[in-house]
Amino acid sequence: MNSESIREYATELLGRKNLSEDACELRFSFPAGFSFTPGQFVRFESHGLKRDYSITTAPNDKGIELCVRDTGTGHFSSVLASAEIGTEFRFSGPHGYFVYRPSTRPVVFVATGTGVAPFVSMTRSGISGYIFLHGVKHTPDLYYENLFRNAARIYVPCVSRSSDDAESDLFQGKVTDYLGTVLERRPYDFYLCGKREMIRDVTFLVDDYFPGARIYTEVFY
Amino acid sequence: MKIYTGGGDRGKTSLFSGERIAKSHDRVEAYGDIDELCSILGAVAASLGGKYPKVEAEIHRIQSDLMKVGALLSTSPDAPAFAELEKIEESSVRTLEANMDRMDADLPPLRGFILPGGDMSAAWAHIARTVCRRAERHVIALVDSFADRGHGSDYWKVLAYMNRLSDYLFVLARYCNHLSDRSDILWKP
Repeated sequence: MNSESIREYATELLGRKNLSEDACELRFSFPAGFSFTPGQFVRFESHGLKRDYSITTAPNDKGIELCVRDTGTGHFSSVLASAEIGTEFRFSGPHGYFVYRPSTRPVVFVATGTGVAPFVSMTRSGISGYIFLHGVKHTPDLYYENLFRNAARIYVPCVSRSSDDAESDLFQGKVTDYLGTVLERRPYDFYLCGKREMIRDVTFLVDDYFPGARIYTEVFY
Repeated sequence: MKIYTGGGDRGKTSLFSGERIAKSHDRVEAYGDIDELCSILGAVAASLGGKYPKVEAEIHRIQSDLMKVGALLSTSPDAPAFAELEKIEESSVRTLEANMDRMDADLPPLRGFILPGGDMSAAWAHIARTVCRRAERHVIALVDSFADRGHGSDYWKVLAYMNRLSDYLFVLARYCNHLSDRSDILWKP
């Protein structure tokens, strides 16, 4: 996991699966010689545009999958989301240090939106037993919910906009609301991935309520 | 990936190993000094103006060593992340010594204390030397706080490296003046 192993690779778009109205999972060929640690990302480059995407597959998968949300404003995500199957792309990688570090402490994964991606890869690689706080605005955005429900010790879908699903175990509110009011106060290993505002707010909560905790972060957008 | 989160806006920062500590902590002072030293070495290399690529390459290698030192200092020795780090080895100290001896062989004998200055590259090298000594002092403060926990050896290697690098930078400063046909500025009390 050092910078010397970062190289450029060619890859081919093999398939696309919708995750929600505006998000999809794209499957690419696994370039020869490429390797990564779950949690790392690749940097796609095309037509002068660059964009980083965390890999959602496990390292021993035959392909590479990415979770892409096309909001209409992220230019490169639009290119990827609308590309024809068979299109060739180039990426560099593996990048990043947001990897799972086993320890004796309880682990809390916190993700918002497509920030779930590195946790999907970690989970598909066999990591389990964590507490997962999955923050979204609406329930259809709970991508990979079943994967996390099966692997997590505690799975908490935090939905910030009102939901009519009274029977479910949804936590009505943001991940920060859950952290500040519900989560038992212990020195956890926190892994945060998502919007910078979430990472900042969770970091402050950890400073205030979880002294001695560790925080590993990846800012997504 | 984005660079900033604002998580440090209240005076704490996250170590590479995940712990949150005050930005005034000895550890932050230490890796802050290394960052400063690495940046000043960039100024030394830049001020050579591309005329001495071998010296510049040597400086870049030292900057690369300092990146490893900075990563080590920004990681708590007790944390899982410590095992992932590339550590400074004794061979890096030997390389500094060999290159120092090679430069020194081209220099006139030292006849007393010299005043920092001369060519711009030499002036930067002297600043680098003093920042290197400050970094060394901060690393010593860290070592004193945990040497009994079994992680001392990696830090002793860092200390040896910093000690030798300070000497190297003194010789480099003189060598930079030598390259630009300037004599040492001798201190006349």
